This record gives sequence, structure tokens and C-alpha cells, in this order.
Amino acid sequence: MPTTSIGGDERISKFKNKGKDLAKLREKRITECVELRKAQKENFFKRRNISLSSLPEDEALSPENGTVSFRIEDIIRDVNCDDRQAQTRGCQAARKLLSKDHDPPMKKIVDAGLLSRFVSFLSLDDEPTLQFEAAWALTNIASGTSWHTQQVVNHGAIPAFINLLTSPMLHIVEQAVWALGNIAGDGAAYRDVLIECNVIPALLAHISPDAPVGFLRNLTWTLSNLCRNKNPCPPMSAVNQMLPSLMQLLHLSDKDILSDACWAISYLSDGSDDRIDVVVKTGIVPRLVELMNNKELCVMTPALRSIGNIVSGSDLHTQMAIDAGVLSVLPNLLRHPKPTVQKEAAWALSNIAAGPCKQIQQLITCGLLPPLVEVLKNGDLKSQREAVWAVTNFTSGGNVEQVVQLVKSGALEAIINLLKVKDAKIILVILEAVNNMFLAAEKLGETERLCLFVEQLGGLEQIEMLQNHANEMVYQAAHNLIEKYFSDGDLEEVQVDAMQNGFVF
Amino acid sequence: MSMSQPTEPATDGAAATEEAKITTAETEKKADEVVEEEEEEEEYVVEKVLNRRVVKGKVEYLLKWKGFSNEDNTWEPEENLDCPDLIAEYLQKQKSAHEGKRKAVGDADGDESKSKKKKDDNEKLRGFARGLEPERIIGATDSTGELMFLMKWKHSDEADLVPAKEANVKCPQVVISFYEERLTWHSYPSEDEKKEEKN
Repeated sequence: MPTTSIGGDERISKFKNKGKDLAKLREKRITECVELRKAQKENFFKRRNISLSSLPEDEALSPENGTVSFRIEDIIRDVNCDDRQAQTRGCQAARKLLSKDHDPPMKKIVDAGLLSRFVSFLSLDDEPTLQFEAAWALTNIASGTSWHTQQVVNHGAIPAFINLLTSPMLHIVEQAVWALGNIAGDGAAYRDVLIECNVIPALLAHISPDAPVGFLRNLTWTLSNLCRNKNPCPPMSAVNQMLPSLMQLLHLSDKDILSDACWAISYLSDGSDDRIDVVVKTGIVPRLVELMNNKELCVMTPALRSIGNIVSGSDLHTQMAIDAGVLSVLPNLLRHPKPTVQKEAAWALSNIAAGPCKQIQQLITCGLLPPLVEVLKNGDLKSQREAVWAVTNFTSGGNVEQVVQLVKSGALEAIINLLKVKDAKIILVILEAVNNMFLAAEKLGETERLCLFVEQLGGLEQIEMLQNHANEMVYQAAHNLIEKYFSDGDLEEVQVDAMQNGFVF
Repeated sequence: MSMSQPTEPATDGAAATEEAKITTAETEKKADEVVEEEEEEEEYVVEKVLNRRVVKGKVEYLLKWKGFSNEDNTWEPEENLDCPDLIAEYLQKQKSAHEGKRKAVGDADGDESKSKKKKDDNEKLRGFARGLEPERIIGATDSTGELMFLMKWKHSDEADLVPAKEANVKCPQVVISFYEERLTWHSYPSEDEKKEEKN
């Protein structure tokens, strides 16, 4: 017991806190701010560049106060026990791990044997939270490689997810739709398994004007995966089931829905004539042409691909596209800043040019020659390749007058300039075009004039050089041309008359 | 390749493959071309197979003849022909339908829709939810309205904020260390004139 004395008082007051006014001390403590010190260089400041990929999930603290643990052992324990709360906790933890941007531990979860539990949770209609978490976790595993998807399927996920399509809770249906989309997207095999399990009517039942946009986006994407892949193509019966709904979706305005619906059509039209037939019979072509003009690249690209597929079909199919106005949209696309768009447009044009005279005439009338020549001159290599095909197809199917028009448009000059490319196939295609032009010239008795023109353009020189080309077919084709048209003694200077149907330049 | 009669063996000794004999101004050679002599003096060489039909149960092919125009194309019965490569080429093209038409080659250059999609988390894992072990608190702030610590985690470079309330429970020793390191003693100009003691 401290004794007080005069000396004691003085001594006491020397101590840190004793003897001082308690209120003041408290005040001092409370009002002082905590200081941030950066005086000492800490090691970790230097190690900022180290990547985060070494995050070890299993170093989490053990759960306290009911918070979520991300340790695999805890997740396994929780998921495997019988308590619904624990199961939900474990499932959610797994879901969060599987939703990470960086390196979700899919294989770990599979190897931990959790998939059969997750699949069993899908059938617990009275535990929607658990259903949802399990569905999400399985969705993400199925989004991995073929092996991952196979693991999910092997644990019985397909019938479980198809059953979930009838859940009264839309967010759960949506999750099931997403999972099924991942499974279908793996390839033709699982796609057809799903179709066999009658997934299509169950999906289509959810298309309604009241459906939320996000939901419809997922639905459309899953449908597109059911249309996707060849060898084999999806069964015709499935295609016929899906087409009317795809038509409906194509008349909406959300760009993501439109994009995936167009991709679906592009997959369905990528095949033999009977496949294309089924698609065009829906009357979808005008809408596709309209969507080729859509300002969103993600919509325009698959619409263009679909139309490209359609005009690779019969003359009848091609005529439907022409009647729907494709020729007024193509020039813009041939001039599009994105090279892949130009390429696809040139490819579509090359297929239209492979049609009968009547369709070739429509190409001319609708002003497709100038943009074609522009691509030949300025396009990237892939676009130029397609444009060359367009020229050759044109010369093959066009009548004499049409070929003359083609030459007048500058196409001959442009393809002669392309004779210096390295691609032997393209050189052959160009030489075929030149040959066809000479055949047309022959009919007019104008071969000499054409020879002169070709020579003026530097073509003779190029073709002569090609006789030394490494590729056998190239040098033969070049040689034939020279032999046939350029070897009748010296070329005389021919007066260029203004004949109506001659090669007047 | 020419039609009908069985081939006469080429005299220049190529037994396995039939080689072209040149009797006209034609100089073009193809490995599978056969030119043979027939009753007529001209030789007919098939340039291309254009079409196929079935007449009275027999398959016939429409042939384009080399050196002749399209007006001279003729239908010939399958069994008379010996140009399997040209027929195969034609049939192959039928898969991609029409003459001159070319099907799409490969993907749309990576523009295609994804075949599989992962559903990401809406809220990123932060703070203790990341499941890491605290190493030390390197700072604090109350600008958010509540007192938060800037936590350096073990085995990670990315520090983030955690509520002090949570840290006080989950890692009290770490919190204590933080405060202890920053304790300062100040003297006050009160009735006591003591020297400042700093730790």
C-alpha cells in the first residue's frame, strides 16, 4: 500500500502516468491520431512486381465466427456433412474459388471428389440457395477443357440440369441454361446427347416477351451452341425445332441476343444445300441483310457470315439474298476499316460472281465493280485473295460484254499487279482469269488488242517471269498463255479505235 | 484422261503410271492423263467433269473436252471413263455444291462466339475473404467512416483494407504490434515539466 509523504508525492509525479489527471490522459489517448510511418524501407516495397498467382488458398485461417473458409479441407468437410447450412457454406466457398479471375482450382475440386455431391444438390428443390451454388460451381468447372466438362457430365449432371429447367426460380433456370450451354459447346457428341434428352423444347418454353434480357442472352447463347459444330451437323429435327425461335430472337434489339442468334444461323447455314434451304425457307434472309448493316460489329460479323454461307448455296439461294438487297450493303462492307470484314465481304462477292449471267449483271448494275477493284488494290492479302476469286469466277460465268466491263473497271490491271504474290494458288487463279478474258476477246476478235493492253500493264513481263516459277502448274499455265496468245511474231502497234464492244481503254 | 478403249501401254516404259503421248500441239502434261490412239485420228482428252446424272439406272457424267468449247460437252456413261481423279474432284465439289462456289474456310478469324463461358464473381474477394494469413498492419485510415487497417498478408504483395473490428478479433496480436510500434509519449506544458520520453 503506497504511503504518501511529501517526498513520495514528488517522486510519484515523476512517473509516466501516475499522478496525472486521468481525464487528461484519456483525452490525450483519444485525440491522438495513429501515425503512418514510412521511415524504414520494408522489404515488401521492393517486391511489388511479384505476381499474385502464388496465392495459396489453403493458408486461410480456420473458420471463426461462421465466416467462410477457403481451405479445400474445410470445403470438403462442409460439403460432405449432412447439415444443410454447412453444405451451403462449403458449396459457396467452392463457387467463389471457382469464380476467381486467376487460376480457379477446377482440378483440385474435381480431384477432391466433390462433383457427385454438387450434382446431388441440384435436385434439392427445397434448398434453392444450395441448388444455385452447386449449379454455379458446376457451370464453371464445365467451362474448362474437354476433360473438365467430361467430369461434370460423368457425374450425372445432364439429367439434373435438364430437370432444373423447370425450376420456379428464374435465376436457377438461368444457371442451368448456362451450364447446359457449356456442355453443348464442348462438341457435337455432348450436343447430340443433350438433344436426345429433349433439352430443346424445355429451353424454348422459356422464350417469352417478359423474359429478362440477361436471361434471354444466356438462352440464345446456349441455343447457338446446340446449332454449332459439324461432323456431324445437328440433327435436322433439332434444327427445325429451333429455327422458329431463332427467328423470334432475331427480331429483338439487344445486341448480345442478336449476335448469338446470328451465330446460330451462321452455323446452321454452314453446310450442304439442304441445310441452307431449311434456313432460307424461314424467310430470315431480309432480316439478315438488315443486320449486316448493324453498327455493332458483334452483330454484323455473324450476319455477314450467314449471308456468305447462303450465297455459297444454289443459284436460288443466292437470288434470295440479292432480292433481299445484299448488293446494296456489300459495297460498304468491302470498304470497311476492319480487314476481316472486307475479306468476308469479298468472299461473299466471289460466290455471287460464281452464279449465272443474270446475277453477274446485277453485280455490275449495283456498282460492285469499283469496290472490288479497290480491294484488289488496297486490301490486305486475305481480302485480295478473295477478290481475285471474285474476278476469276466473274470471267468464268460472265458473257463477253460483262467481261469487257470487268476489264474496263480496272480489274485486269489490279490482278496483274498481284502476280507477284508468293501464293502459287492465287497466281493460278489470276492466270485462269486472264485466260478467260482472252477467250472472251477471241469471240470479239480482239485478242491482239488485249495482248497489247496486257503488255502495257506490265503483265507480259510478269507472265514471262512466271515461266520460271518453282510451282509446276504455275509455269505451265504461264507458258500456255504465252504460247497461245503472245507468240505470233512481234506484236504490231494497233490503232485503238472507239469500237462499242471492243476493249477500249 | 481419255475415254473408252483400254489403254495401250506407253512405249517409253512407264508401266505403273500411264503417261501422256503427245501427238498434237498440246504441251500440257498431267500425271494421271492418258492419251491413247483410237479409230479416229483426233484424241479426246477430258478436261473436267461437270455434272452427273442417272439414266435408266446408269450413272453418266457430263464432260468438258480439252480444246473444245462448252457447246461440245457430252454425257458419257460412267463405265466408259477412266478418269477417277476428275470424277472424285467433281464429287468433292458437290459437297460444297456449285461450280465456282466456295464454302467458308475455318473460323471467322477468332471473332466467333465463345464455345464455353465461365461465370465470374460479381464482387472480388477482398480482405479476410481472400483466406490469407495476416503478416502485419502497415497503415490505418478512418476516411471511410470506420477505422480500417491496411493489411499486409503473408505470401502476397497485394495489401488491402480490413475493418479494425474484424482484425481485432481475428488477429489481435497483429493489431497490438501495430499499435505498440507507434506508441509515442508527449509531454504537455502542464504544471509538470518533464522531459519527453520517446520509445
